[in-house]
Formats: sequence, C-alpha cells, structure tokens
Amino acid sequence: MINFKLNNNPVQVDIDPDTPLLWVVRDHFKLKGSKFGCGMGLCGACTMHVNGEAVRTCTLPVSAVQGAAITSIEGLGTPDNLHPLQQAWVEHSVPQCGYCQSGQLMSASALLAQNPNPSDVDIEMAMNGNICRCGTYSKIKSAIKSVTKSGEAMRTQGSLVEIFDPVIGNKEANS
Amino acid sequence: MKTASMTRRLFLLSTGAAATGLIVGCSTAAAKGRGYSAIAGAFEPNSFIQITPDNQIIFYLPSSEMGQGILDGLTTLIAEELRVQPSAIDVRQASLHEDYKNPEMGMQATGGSNATRAQFLPLRQAAADTAAAIRNAAAKQLNQPLDKLSLADGHVNVDGKSYAFGEFVAVAALMPVPENSPLRSPKQFDQIGRERPRLDALAKSTGTAVFGIDAEVENLFRAVVVRSPVLGAALQSFDATAALKQSGVVDVVKIKSGVAVVAQSYWQARKAAAALELTWEKTELGSWSSDSIYKKFTETLNDSSQKGLECCDEGEGDKLLDQAETMVAADYYAPYLAHATMEPLNCTVAIKGDSCEIYLGTQSVQASAGAAVYYGDFDADKVKMHPAFLGGGFGRRSLGDDVAEAVVIAKQTGRNIQVVWSREDDMSNDFYRPAALVRMRAGVSKQGLIETWAVRRVGPNIMGHMIDEWFEVLAPDYLNKGFADWLSKLGHPIFKRFIADPSNGDGIYGDYDTPNKAVRHVTQDPGLRTGFWRSVGHSSNAFFKESFIDELAQSVGIDELQFRLANMKNNPRLTEATELVAAKAGWGKALPKGHFHGLATHSSFGSAVAQIAEVSIQGSKIIVHKVTAAIHCGMVVNPGIVRDQVEGGIIYGLTAALYGEITLLDGVIQQTNFHNYPMLRMADAPEVEVHIVESQEHPEGVGEPGLPPLAPAVANAVFKASGQRLRDLPLRLS
Repeated sequence: MINFKLNNNPVQVDIDPDTPLLWVVRDHFKLKGSKFGCGMGLCGACTMHVNGEAVRTCTLPVSAVQGAAITSIEGLGTPDNLHPLQQAWVEHSVPQCGYCQSGQLMSASALLAQNPNPSDVDIEMAMNGNICRCGTYSKIKSAIKSVTKSGEAMRTQGSLVEIFDPVIGNKEANS
Repeated sequence: MKTASMTRRLFLLSTGAAATGLIVGCSTAAAKGRGYSAIAGAFEPNSFIQITPDNQIIFYLPSSEMGQGILDGLTTLIAEELRVQPSAIDVRQASLHEDYKNPEMGMQATGGSNATRAQFLPLRQAAADTAAAIRNAAAKQLNQPLDKLSLADGHVNVDGKSYAFGEFVAVAALMPVPENSPLRSPKQFDQIGRERPRLDALAKSTGTAVFGIDAEVENLFRAVVVRSPVLGAALQSFDATAALKQSGVVDVVKIKSGVAVVAQSYWQARKAAAALELTWEKTELGSWSSDSIYKKFTETLNDSSQKGLECCDEGEGDKLLDQAETMVAADYYAPYLAHATMEPLNCTVAIKGDSCEIYLGTQSVQASAGAAVYYGDFDADKVKMHPAFLGGGFGRRSLGDDVAEAVVIAKQTGRNIQVVWSREDDMSNDFYRPAALVRMRAGVSKQGLIETWAVRRVGPNIMGHMIDEWFEVLAPDYLNKGFADWLSKLGHPIFKRFIADPSNGDGIYGDYDTPNKAVRHVTQDPGLRTGFWRSVGHSSNAFFKESFIDELAQSVGIDELQFRLANMKNNPRLTEATELVAAKAGWGKALPKGHFHGLATHSSFGSAVAQIAEVSIQGSKIIVHKVTAAIHCGMVVNPGIVRDQVEGGIIYGLTAALYGEITLLDGVIQQTNFHNYPMLRMADAPEVEVHIVESQEHPEGVGEPGLPPLAPAVANAVFKASGQRLRDLPLRLS
C-alpha cells in the first residue's frame, strides 16, 4: 500500500509499485488532466508537482512518492477558481490543441513558486522540457511574464512602470 | 488550384464513390431526423442548433477541433447570425450524421484547411434562419409587428422590453422555419473579425478538456498492441506464455496489425507486451534502407526512359529550355516525416450486445465509424460515435487504423477496451509524409523573367496508400468485404500508372507567371505507407520551388524580392502578402552583424503567405532569430487564431526544416521517440510576427498555409549567411 497526498487529499493505492505515477493518477484516481506524451520524460505532458518540484510522472514509479505531496493540474486551480497562470493562459489564448498545456502550466507554476520574477532565460530553461507541437511557445512565455512580479505590478498599476530587474534590466521588464 | 481538399475529393470521384452512394454507406440509418438527440420542449430547426425553453443555446460543431480553432471560428459564425455572444453558446462535437458532411469534401471530415471556407455561408444561413424563426414566433406570441422586434444578446427586444429566446421556442417549434433569411453584411458584423480569447482556452487551461485518451467507461480494460517492426509484415507465429503470466493480464489476442495484450491497466499491458515472442513474415519493405531508397530515387531521376505522369503541361512545356539566356538546374530532396501529434493515437470501445460506442478524437467521424462497421462487423446504425478533442491531428487522425484495432480486440475479448499507443508505436506506425527527390530546371531571360519551368519529381505518392486505408471503411454495406479489400489495393497502380497524385504537383508550379511549364512525377515507392501531413504536397514542394527561385534570382543578379514580384504579376494575393512582409520585416535594411534575411512566398489552400526569416550561423548551428509573416486569407473570423495558426505552421515547419527526418534500416523506422526525432523547444523557438492582409473576400485556409514557406525562407537566409545552398532537408551545414 502506497500512501501520498494528491491535491491536498491523503490517498492510498494498492498497485504494482513500478507503475508510473501518471497512470495511477489518470486511471486509478481518474484525474485525466495530466497527459501521456512520450513515456520517457522527454515531452513534459505528464508534469506534476512532487513536493513543489516539477517532475515528469510518466517515468516516476508510484513507489517513489510514498509520503510525498503531489499536485496535478486539477489541484492547481479549477475553472471557478483559477490559478493566476491559468487566468493568464485564458487571457492570452495560449492553448491550441491543448494537450500539452497541463504540463506546461505545472512547469510554469513550479518555476514561479521558486522564482517569482524569472528572466527570459530562466523561463526558457524551466520550460524547455515541455514540448508543444502546435507552436504556442511565444504565448506561453508572454503569459508567464504577465504574472511575474514585474508583469503583475505593471498590470495592477495600470501603467508602464520602470522596474529594474538586476538580471534582465529595464528593457525586458517593460516589453 | 489543386488543393489537398481536392485531392481528397478526387479520391471519392476517382473511385466512383460519389456516384455509387458510398458516402451514404455508413450514415443512411443515422440520417433519419436530426443529427442529435431531441431535448423535450426545445426548438430544433436544423442539425446544428437547439434552443431550450430555459434559453440554453446548443451548437453541434460539425468539424473536429484539433487545435486549429475551428470550435471558436464556427461558433462565432453561429453567434453572429443568431445574435448571441459566442461564450453563451454550449458547443458540442457533432456525432455521425450526413448533415455534418463537409460541403466541399462530401464526407464528415476535417482537413485541407477548408472548414471555415466551406461552412462560412451554410452555417451562417442555418443560424440566420433560426434567428428569423425566433423573431417570427416572438411577433406572433407578443402580437407585435415584425419590424418592431430586434434581436441582440440572445434576447428579443420590443418596446423597451427584453425577452430571452427561450420564451418563444414552443411557438417557434410549431411554425415553419424560414429559409434564405438575409445574412448580416460585413459592416454589421460584431462578432466576425473581432479578436477575443478563444472559447476552448478555459477547458484547455484547467485540464478539463476531454481528449480521446481521457475516455472512461465501465469495466474498461487497456490494450497494448505489438506490431511488426517492418510496417505491414504479417505475423508468422507468436508465443504468449510469458506475457499471460504477468500481473493483470487477462487476454492476448492476434489481430490484423499484430498481437494485443489486454490487462487491467495500461502499465501492466505495456510490461507484458515486452514479454511476447513474435516472428514476422519478410516483406519487400524489409529489403529497403534509406541509403538504398535514395540511390533508387537518384537512378530513377536520371533514367529519362521513365516518363512518369504529368502534373502540369502548359505552353511549350520544357521544349524551349535549351534556348534560354540563362538555364539553371538543381536537385532537391525532402525526407519522410512523422506527424508526432502530442497525443499518441488511442481508441476506446464499449460494446453492448450488437452495438458499440466509440470514444476518440478523429479528423473523420465518418471514417472512424466506418472502420467499426468494416473491421468490427457492426451494423452501421449500431455504431455510436463520441468525438473528443484531438491532441493534434496534422492529417494523422484522418484514417480508421486506430479504430480498426480497438473494435477487433473488444469483439474478440468481449471486453470494453482502450488501446493506447506508446510514442514509439505512434512514431513507427505512422502514415508518413512522402520523401521526394526533385530536379528543378528553369530558363530565365536577361530581364529576369522566368520563361520555362520544368520539374521532374521522384518518390512515393499518397493516394494509393490512402485509398488502401479508406476504401473499406467508407465502402457501402452491400459491397462484399473481400471485394472491397481487393478494390482498395487498386489505388496503388492507378496512381502509379494512370493518374498523377495531385499532391505531387501541389504548389510546385502555380505561383509564378511562367508561360511554359512541365511538371512530371515518377512514382518510386519502397512500400512505406504515406499520408497527409500538414500542408501535404506543399510541405516539400514549397521548399523546392522557393529555394530554386532564389537560385534563379541570384543567377541573373536580381534582388530576390524584386525577382519574385516581377514574376507574380498574375498573383495579386501573393503580391500583397509579399509586399506587406517586405515592409514589415524591413527587407534590404541593415540587420545586426551576422544576421541575414531569407524570403519565401507561397500560395496554398486558397491563401497566400510570405515569410522572411532572420538567421545567423554559430559554428554549424542554424539560429533562427525571427520570422515575419504576412497572410492573405480573405475575411478573418478571429484574427488572433489566424495569427496563431500561421505561427503554429512556422514552428511545426521549423521542427521539420531543422530536425525532421524519418529513416529506415532494413525496413525498420529508426526514430522512436523525441530524443531521436527531436522537436523544436522554447529556447530555440524564434520570435514570430504575423501580419494579416486586410480583405473582404471569402475566407480561405489558415491551418496549413503558414507552414510551406518556412523551410525555404530559412534555407535562403542560410545561403546568404554561409554561402552554402542547402538543397536537402533537414537543413544541415557541412
């Protein structure tokens, strides 16, 4: 029996211990938002948070999450109570086919939780494990930037403010 | 203009399908009544719209949503004429019914970038007639003259009072539905042309959008199929002893494509599948490798006794080539490519007695249902389709091969089955974009006008393989199965010997004013199955054509932009797009040191697209910094989605241009997953800027036309940057 927390709820499951977490969440707990894309941790469609870290769950045996806190896209926000990134995703019309977007959002939200004001390079490094075949990368980047600290400040103050970012400087912060 | 939709249409015509009622084959039973289930008390004027007494407005979406935004686009058309907000409409994917056939294709399918073009008027008409019916009913019920009533936001307004549409549905249901009601004029449009967030963004940002792979039914078992390493080889023998001992495994069954392992969970089935021992028959494809295929293509290209089939012959053909002031010739190559949709293929089947329900994302509800009828032996009226969102289509999800496996496994085991393809299954069992080796020759005058354009192409065609897949699943019930199977094989010789596959000529000769043209294709097919891949023939032909155009311009020392404009006087749409992109990207202006511009222009699917790529070289790496694009696609329904589609085509095209190559070794596909068939990732994605030419003309395609010009735009910039003219895809510097 393996015990862990799934979206803040304690759960337990009696299953082959080498079963990847992705399939446990999708087919045992019937939370279908996380997707299967490659089975090798190469595309990021299956990304969830394991103790706050973005992890590819298609290669993560469920036995490895004993006692861990797992967050899937269903735990990030709901249509009635969106995470700020999900709100930005909708406002920017990020998704096309949408299949990779749960994974994209989980990678992006883990990034912002650790680094609320990432540079372009930080964003690219955090998101480079997530493939989008429809080509939504530029919108993903804009959506993430709109909810970074500097992006948020610009939105709430309703005007362009000069925010000096020691990594990227003024120019990027205003773009 | 020959487009992919015509290719698909041609399939129906060339097999006599249109005349023999083939299209009706699987849908005669379903054709009775409306395409959806009735709701008590609702007004149901046609197969597209239902309005309930509590003012729920339902639209049955006839096209498949695979990312291209057709859910948003077609809902906008309904909203415009019905006078409601698009977000107030409850959109549901239509199941199988003849009313949902694509008017251009004659079948219920989505592809060829024509869903907006083909349904722009019919869907608006359906909504306008529905609105007129509500207005008539309101006039009667409120006892008011018609001209005092106006419609807005799902309400009828009269004398300062406002009534929801739903209040009039009972009366509307008893009155005749008006026909040919006037459509709103572009000046009146308040939804069409407006930019707003796409309607499916919320579901797709919260993990709540349901894709085929997300289907759940009671007592669902998962199946994994082990198929031949050489595509199409028959199973000789297999030993399932070890597999059957594995945890959770309930059945192992032999099916047409291989052996299926059925288990409680996907992981159990996947693990047990590795324990199967299988031997396969030898096939001709097993004797081919990429090197020998390329060698054979080259021999055929040089063997002038093989004339091939004519794709185009205008004016004097290639007869005047020798007399040209400047004659240029060059050979180009494009490899096989896989689709690699993010959602691997899958299909879920639930069987109840003699009926079956199918859950999947498909580009053709009709072909998918047909596959259940043909392979699963179900009566057409016993097959119920539950279409889901597609995690990418790009042409891959237009066949019935996913359904064919699932229904047979379900039938043989008597269980509800979900077949899930691994990434490896998906990549090595695709219908690939055909490879092609091409000899381009042209005669150019001193003034820089193209006088002769001659192309000799060698490679597989698509139609033979498509007919092989489609014929059975679209065949009418009365056709004997063995006969249908035999007929389906005829596509191969027909398109090798008698009819040129239109996709081979697509876009390789049409854009420029050249008076003399000769384009021929010699079919040389090692037997690897091929299929429609985003933009089909244009995907390789634009690379050949537009790279070669730069070679022509450079051979006579004329600027590549001016050379194109001088040779496209009869192509106003492409001219407008080209002039717009040149102005926006600053063609000819100074760029950062080491950066170079490359231009390509191409018409496909009714639209014209011009692109300028800004490229630099670092070592042997090609860096694409920015792509500026302009599209002329007629009237625009949602400009945001048009820009997204062009950008999507650019990213998809750049993956192919920089990395895309499927290779064979002794018939076995060498690429298996994203480590050896890489995709463009965020860090390497260029900035993309898309401009739309203002137009009030009928809308044209946007899902595919953004792709074809990308590879040549990059290749043309690479030549400027490095002096290397790269004539083979993917682009690799030596």
